[in-house]
Amino acid sequence: MSHDNIQDHIKVYRNIFLALLTFTVLTVAISYVHFDLVWVGILVGLLIAGIKGYLVAANFMHLNNEKKMIYWILILTASFLVLLFFMPTLWDNNIAHSETTVLFDDPGGREYLEKSSH
Amino acid sequence: MSQDSHQESFIKKYIFSQDHKVIGIQYGLLSLFFLLFGFFLMMIMRWQLAYPDQVIPIIGPLMFENGILSPDMYNSFGAMHGTIMIFLGVVPIVVGAFGNYLVPLQIGAPDMAFPKLNMVSFWSYFIGGFVMMYGFVLPGGAANSGWTSYPPLSDLATAGQTVWLIGMVFLITSSLLGSMNIIVTIVQLRVKGLTYMKLPLFVWSQLVTSFLLVLAFPPLEAAAVFQLMDRLAGTSFFLPTGLIHGGAIVDVAGGGSPILWQHLFWFLAHPEVYVLILPAMGVVCEIIANNTRKPIWNYKTMVYSLIFLGFMSFAVWAHHMFQTGMGQGMSAFFQITTMIISVPSVVILSGLFITLWGGRIRFNTPMLFALAFLPMFGIGGLTGLPLGLAPSDIPLHDTYYVIGHFHYVVAPGTIFAIFAGIYFWFPKVTGKQLNETLGKIHFWFSFVFMNGIFMPMFLQGIAGVSRRLADGGTTYAHAANTIHYNEFMSWSAWCLGLAQLPFIINMIMTLIRKRKDKVDPNPWKATTIEWTDTTSPPLGHGNFDTVPSVYRGPYEYSVPGESEEFTPQSKKDVNSENK
Amino acid sequence: MQIPYNEKLRPDTGLYNAKLGIWLFLASEIMLFGGLFSAYVLLRSSNADFMMHQHYLNVPLATLNTIILITSSVTMVMAWVSLKLNDLKKYKLYMLLTLLCSVGFLIVKFFEYSAKFEHHLYPSTDNFLGTYFTLTGLHGLHIIGGMVVMIYLVGPGVKMWETNKERFTNRVEVIGLYWHFVDLVWIFLFPALYLL
Repeated sequence: MSHDNIQDHIKVYRNIFLALLTFTVLTVAISYVHFDLVWVGILVGLLIAGIKGYLVAANFMHLNNEKKMIYWILILTASFLVLLFFMPTLWDNNIAHSETTVLFDDPGGREYLEKSSH
Repeated sequence: MSQDSHQESFIKKYIFSQDHKVIGIQYGLLSLFFLLFGFFLMMIMRWQLAYPDQVIPIIGPLMFENGILSPDMYNSFGAMHGTIMIFLGVVPIVVGAFGNYLVPLQIGAPDMAFPKLNMVSFWSYFIGGFVMMYGFVLPGGAANSGWTSYPPLSDLATAGQTVWLIGMVFLITSSLLGSMNIIVTIVQLRVKGLTYMKLPLFVWSQLVTSFLLVLAFPPLEAAAVFQLMDRLAGTSFFLPTGLIHGGAIVDVAGGGSPILWQHLFWFLAHPEVYVLILPAMGVVCEIIANNTRKPIWNYKTMVYSLIFLGFMSFAVWAHHMFQTGMGQGMSAFFQITTMIISVPSVVILSGLFITLWGGRIRFNTPMLFALAFLPMFGIGGLTGLPLGLAPSDIPLHDTYYVIGHFHYVVAPGTIFAIFAGIYFWFPKVTGKQLNETLGKIHFWFSFVFMNGIFMPMFLQGIAGVSRRLADGGTTYAHAANTIHYNEFMSWSAWCLGLAQLPFIINMIMTLIRKRKDKVDPNPWKATTIEWTDTTSPPLGHGNFDTVPSVYRGPYEYSVPGESEEFTPQSKKDVNSENK
Repeated sequence: MQIPYNEKLRPDTGLYNAKLGIWLFLASEIMLFGGLFSAYVLLRSSNADFMMHQHYLNVPLATLNTIILITSSVTMVMAWVSLKLNDLKKYKLYMLLTLLCSVGFLIVKFFEYSAKFEHHLYPSTDNFLGTYFTLTGLHGLHIIGGMVVMIYLVGPGVKMWETNKERFTNRVEVIGLYWHFVDLVWIFLFPALYLL
């Protein structure tokens, strides 16, 4: 990297810094806006976080100009992350707060159930 | 290189060593100890299964109240047997010991990419093991919620579970650091000419395995942190509202989900199965190619199968959870991926069988173990198919059938491959060859008794015997017709224990025996550079006198037109200039 | 013993060892925080009252912390640039600024936590607060880990600059990558816990 090149980099870092500050203020401001649909608010919030994340990753972590190997590792990671993230939420049986749950082999539990059924 | 090795103190050279070979041996010895210890737990459990509530001879009065293994202790031994065998035994030996010792030698590297990190990962493993063992002296004993530690049971279990979780965090850290090290070493430190498609299959299997470890272990670490919070800070991530225990509602906020643990756990633990089996396949590939004096059938297909197997192993975890009521869509998805993942396994196994075709097979001890691996892994794999399909999984779930299935994969599968590897690379590590007669005795008895333990389990499982019965099924109606197998299985297990004696004697005898004549650095007439180009064994501080270059693939045996039966990877190809 | 490609780039990958190493480490960190976030999504989507206690969280303090972390990311990258420009003095200045920011972050965090405890809000109160304490706590541990390495790199570790400039610069780049990642995690934690 030559010196001029680095001076350019410093300029970029300064601009990114300002952009990140702006987006931070923006996302806090938007959180006070009331959306009729809850998911719109969530979507906007995630979108802003995504943009901020992209700015950090692309510029500070130099992902806009990285070697192929690194991209491959990240693509692999991202694909597994998608699996980890979305599969559990597609479960039909996620209701954890429904009824009473009794540990199967617990004699006290059985007693409790019998008492409550009378 | 050699003069500074004399100045190093004993501690720096053998205990806090940064040399990948010493660390590999440290890993190997410690994990063999843990394998034996885990096996010992199982032998005690088998007494309780065969002769329920009878005093255990000799060791019973010394270890237990009344000399009997109580049901609580039985649970604890079962949980610790699984944990020890997987996380303290097999993974450290296949990745830590074999990976550490052989990968740098097979790719021509002077050491691992990060020697200090390598040392840290060994000692992290050591601490993790120590912490786990500490559970045994706690009130209430070691962890007793199974090696899967399903909540809510594990959230409410005795203090041993906390120790289990802390131990796991150390073990996960160790595996993460170790596997990152292996990946960087393979990617960055290959010698000149050693392209990816010239890597020995063992190195490929280590590469895929390490990726599995790096990407699959962290979700379990997350889960372990959650469970630690549940146990220590009173959160209820895994505890549902209104949970009743001991006759009263458990005093927590509730709202958590036990299924969440299962997700995070199996997201690791399914790839973990492939962590156990892939390096074993790598070892077997090396030994079969070497002893059939033939190239591995369709090297590239094998490589792609390994990669595909690794990749798919992340998308099948919920076939362990068919009984959680996941709904048809999800269930169909995971059944399909499970069927898909069986394809590359079959390709690899078939490839190895085809390699045998027409070979001049040398039946030495490592080859016998490697050959036994093939049908044993085959049985393990095929009996897995009914478990991968929800309709047949539901009756078989949590029965002895499951135990039989995965033990066929891991015990006569991976463990046999580990034995094969030890017999094969022992001359590399020590410069001395293990005794063949004792080796063959070890093999044949192990082979017979292994099957004696696990084959009847399929029958018991199909009959419907639950795997969690401390009394072996005496009070369980489904077990009535198959309970008499227990005695036979237990005797097989104890005989299997005896069958390991020739192996241990063999190792010790060979190590203390002095040999005056010059050692053959390449006793198996192998082609890969760890045999042909390293300094003669036992290796000193440096790996290579001169850094070798590689000109050809790893399995050039019996190449027509070559002067010798085997062509080392580092042999310069006179005709290669034109290619 | 000399390990190849500790400071030089390997021609076919274009990387030095530690860079590949840190990216693999970050990949595993992505999966770690992925697991935590995934748990958060699952718990939240299965419980209608999950966010009941969100209004207790202090948004202005968290915003301040966000700004502090972003600033520290910039000073971190400037520290690396200063080394590239052969300016050790400026490097030390920027590194100390980064450390200052991280201390500031932890102090703000301390006030946040103690305010919660004063109101008798503990991890055991409900799962939202449990998630809040676990996730921010783990993130805080990452901050502390990064600080330890930074203290080494401005303190005793700086000796390497005299003997092996390239390798030292690489080390600073690697800790920088880690630090930006910790910042990145916070960028997602902040809206997920405080705002949405």
